[in-house]
Amino acid sequence: MTFRSSRREFLRDLGLSAAALPFVCNLPSLGFANQAQRKQRLIVMFSPNGIVPDQFWPDEEGADFKLKTILSPLESLKDRTLVLNGVCDKIRGDGDSHMRGMGCLLTGCELFPGNIQGGSDTPAGWASGLSIDQEIKNFLQADTATRTRFGSLEFGVMVPDRADTWTRMVYSGPNKPVAPIDDPYQMFNKLYGQKKNQESLRSIVDALKDDFRKLEPHVSGDDRALLEEHATLVRDFERELQANPDGLNHPEPVLDQGIKEENDNIPKISKMQIDLLVQSFSADFARIATFQITNSVGGAKMRWLGIEEGHHELSHEPDKNESAQDKLTRINKWYCEQLAYLAERLAATPEPGGQGSLLDNTLIIWTNELGKGNSHTLNDIPFVMVGNGLDFQMGRSVKYKKTAHNRLLMSIAHGFGHRLTKFGNPDFCGDGPLSQLT
Amino acid sequence: MPLRRVFCSVFVIAVAVSAATFAAERTGEIVYREMCASCHGPNGEGTPKEYPEPLLGDKSVKELAVVIAKTMPENKPEKCSREDADLVAAYIHDAFYSPLAQARIKPARVALSRLTVRQYRESIADLFAELRPSEQPNGKLGLRGNYFPSRRNRDNEKVLDRIDPVVQFDFGEGKPIQDDRLKTDEFTINWSGSVFAPETGNYEFVVKTVNGMRLWVNENDVPLIDGSVRSGNDVEHRESRFLLGGRYYPLRLEFFKSNKAKEKKAAIALHWTRPHHTTELIDARYLSPHRSSEVLVVQTPFPADDRSVGYERGSSVSKEWDQATTDAALEIASTVLPEVNRFAGTKNDAGDRKQKVQDFALQLAGRAFRRPLNEETRQPFIKQFEDNTDVDAAFQRSLLLMLKSPRFLYREVDGSANDPWNVASRIGYTLWDSLPDKPLRDAAANGQLTNREQIRSQVERMAADPRAVAKLNAFLRQWTRLDSLIDIAKDSHLYPEFDPAVISDLRTSLELTLADAAMQPRATYRQLILDDEFYLNGRLAPLYRVDLPADALMPQTAPFQKMKLEGETRVGVITHPFLMAGLAYTATSSPIHRGVFVSRSLLGRSLKPPPEAIAPILEDLHPDLTTRERVALQTKSQVCQGCHVMINSLGFTLESFDAIGRWRKAEKGKLINDTGLYTTRDGEERRIQGAPELGAFLVDSPESRQAFVQQMFHFLVKQPIRAYGADVPGELGRSFLQNDQQIRMLMLEIATTVAATGLN
Repeated sequence: MTFRSSRREFLRDLGLSAAALPFVCNLPSLGFANQAQRKQRLIVMFSPNGIVPDQFWPDEEGADFKLKTILSPLESLKDRTLVLNGVCDKIRGDGDSHMRGMGCLLTGCELFPGNIQGGSDTPAGWASGLSIDQEIKNFLQADTATRTRFGSLEFGVMVPDRADTWTRMVYSGPNKPVAPIDDPYQMFNKLYGQKKNQESLRSIVDALKDDFRKLEPHVSGDDRALLEEHATLVRDFERELQANPDGLNHPEPVLDQGIKEENDNIPKISKMQIDLLVQSFSADFARIATFQITNSVGGAKMRWLGIEEGHHELSHEPDKNESAQDKLTRINKWYCEQLAYLAERLAATPEPGGQGSLLDNTLIIWTNELGKGNSHTLNDIPFVMVGNGLDFQMGRSVKYKKTAHNRLLMSIAHGFGHRLTKFGNPDFCGDGPLSQLT
Repeated sequence: MPLRRVFCSVFVIAVAVSAATFAAERTGEIVYREMCASCHGPNGEGTPKEYPEPLLGDKSVKELAVVIAKTMPENKPEKCSREDADLVAAYIHDAFYSPLAQARIKPARVALSRLTVRQYRESIADLFAELRPSEQPNGKLGLRGNYFPSRRNRDNEKVLDRIDPVVQFDFGEGKPIQDDRLKTDEFTINWSGSVFAPETGNYEFVVKTVNGMRLWVNENDVPLIDGSVRSGNDVEHRESRFLLGGRYYPLRLEFFKSNKAKEKKAAIALHWTRPHHTTELIDARYLSPHRSSEVLVVQTPFPADDRSVGYERGSSVSKEWDQATTDAALEIASTVLPEVNRFAGTKNDAGDRKQKVQDFALQLAGRAFRRPLNEETRQPFIKQFEDNTDVDAAFQRSLLLMLKSPRFLYREVDGSANDPWNVASRIGYTLWDSLPDKPLRDAAANGQLTNREQIRSQVERMAADPRAVAKLNAFLRQWTRLDSLIDIAKDSHLYPEFDPAVISDLRTSLELTLADAAMQPRATYRQLILDDEFYLNGRLAPLYRVDLPADALMPQTAPFQKMKLEGETRVGVITHPFLMAGLAYTATSSPIHRGVFVSRSLLGRSLKPPPEAIAPILEDLHPDLTTRERVALQTKSQVCQGCHVMINSLGFTLESFDAIGRWRKAEKGKLINDTGLYTTRDGEERRIQGAPELGAFLVDSPESRQAFVQQMFHFLVKQPIRAYGADVPGELGRSFLQNDQQIRMLMLEIATTVAATGLN
């Protein structure tokens, strides 16, 4: 499989010219010098098909709670973890639960009518508004103090190569889904391609100058002036390249080569993407990221756990099928391990130019399009938060009573100082941001 | 002719008429000969004993006069009066002193040139097109439509395979075709084939549908438009793509109605917006069912080429241009890299991959440089593969080196002028603006480009290629100024029917005429100048008052067809309504614009800019005057008459066409006077009445013929014609006449002459 992206994307992503170089490093030395305000960051991590409630939700409320099997990988991060139960996706309208669960999860608004149909519900199209991560990204990018090279980065793992309501969770506006990049090499090129290009250009300049030198004696006097003028431009270009020796303030990460995008490589791809994500936060390429493992209705076959069936297929099995529930528990625990690895990597990475670690300034939210797979409920959508990015009071289990998730989306914005009075469908924003978070 | 006229007159030939002929007056030249030439030489070149340095510099006339008055002649400045100094300064400044004069008197020569932007883009497209073999068009128009009963496009379920000339269907709540295997609530149609871009530019593709669709254009794995999710009221999808003119691009459109979507209706239309046109249905003439290959079209923008001498040429470099070549090289590398295994005939895990990719890089470099590599030119590429363990990185760097090298960016920069590789390059760039193809390279390698006959046979082969047709077409568009007449909107009160759709159709009409002339092997200049049939469609015909039988009223949707505009004095492409409308003001005709076009473009007369900026006289000030009378009034001063005696008289012959190019008998209640007068370079006075006599004059006029020859030469070759020999213009003109003024034949003669220059 090739990972060719469209040429237009290439041009858009790379900006290309040597003059654009200083942008690559986001002027770190200056940026880090005057930290009036700490850098706040957000990561939304997604896994599909609901969870197994009795292996997931803590029984207790408050600071004294126990992590059950699925959340057990968070044990060492427990005091930085906040589990929110009772938050519901109340958006109705067109589309089945998987579609609305995905399309309304971060947008908090209805899907447009359309031609995509799942189950027996009415067909639907794309979400009718932008998602909260993009709302916050726009907020940060509007201020030079918080602006970054990309603003947000959308990572994926094994997202099917088709654009539909099940594969898109991020929206830059109504009818404007944003595709996650699920190929680590493509993401690497987006982040570091320009630097590699500069290196390549530097490596050929000597041979190029040599070419001019060899040709110049062969052309007549009048013609030589043109060639000499051109050779001068080449030397100027070389000087510009040398003025930006790296274009980056850190060595680029080294990726394992030749990892194909296929089911059995999901663990490897997930790790590569997490490493790139942490690296890109460390380099301040962006402060908002999404990390979407497969898609709504995702059918990963976790053979590496000894599970042959696809995830979605298993998620339809009734509660009494113990073998299936056991497998679903192990599947969700594996997702939680990805969350834990991400959090640990952030915790192990010092905040550049600041105090503490990246995790001290980052909030990760792990979520899902459904509460539970076999009922397709949009109640009790899992929201597990890790990290101290937003001054939420961590190390707790909180239980709400059927509270609209729009209020949570607003809380996240408020955590960034972006005081929205509504987000998505205003009917579900009535009581403002969630209480009990800070 | 009074002396005064000679000086104001703006023709280049006036330069040759020396003031010395009129000895009665003391001129700068006389003063120079008397007092300066003995030391400075007759043409300022200097004399070995007295003053060996040539008189060159950049002082203004006034500055020069001051210096001369104070210092000259040496030791006896009092001998030269201030008046004489002024005269002599003006004379030498214009004759040889100034940089401008130097450029004028220098003999024309073939200058080293870089690829023009068009040449760069065409060369890149062809460099890789040779690696992606493509089917040829088979003469059929439209797209291949495959109809399936479900969303699964399984070949064995295919219900229908046919050619659809255009994609514009409204199936309502029914089926696309009456076939029991199809249901009304679910079906898929796949249209595939190629789309032809008639000119270079941005094309916006527009798909209108209430159902799901995806469209691919020139990129087979990434859809240009992905409308598989229909959402809300999004029933129109638009995306743009930059395409090179004269080429076919793969196009595929997938359209589906699915029962799951619970869609009642099904409808789809495939439109586009061509450069300088309104959005319209993609006509069958631009669609072909054959499968073409992706074309590598460089998307990086380049700064425009120098056109100061009337044609684009690669005579200068700039930082912006150099940066564009870097950006483009990176863009090309990113596009080509994923295909390197296929091009090099290897696989990722092949043991000899490095060798295969290196061989491919060397082969590509040889083609890009238009000359086989030698030991010295191979070395930098081989070094990339020695220095880099990563084969892909070595290949990327080789590509960058190749595409930034002067051997690629400059024409005929290496080797002797007439070695076979430079001859091949000259043929390729003259006919195609592109690299030599394989047969031409083979001819060069086998010593078959050493005489005129051998060159001629290659030129004949290549002149029939679509790339030659495309270049000829581009020339004709420039010759008629089609490409520069961009905004020709008119006064909407006077001409309410002349809306953007009409303008777009009118442009298409002229484009079709020119495309015919470029395409038909035996099309002649005579036909272009005298043809009295014009392409009109259902929208244009009523506006231009074509007299049709009552029962043959053309519907609005009638396609373009050639027809005569009866009862009019309309003759030839110069009277095409698009040109007449383009060469007019918003409310009235413009004899001046038309006259300038006829004198400059068709007769090759050179005109200087007006000596004084004069605003056109407003129509309101003289409401009773016809346009002709008003123009005559405006340009009556002697200062103007130097040029306008010719411009106006030629422009007046086209006064029968109003501001939208419609024929008229009268203006403001007065009969149109379309008589004019033209004095040829030989001094012969010709009285010309109306377009028919103008056409008749032009088609037999040696001036017009030479102008056409010279303009085509410069467009094709991008070097001054006289650089190939003083008699080349005359010889080409004579052979053009002998060949019945066949346009394609002239192209052949030019390419052969240029390629064979210096050979026996």
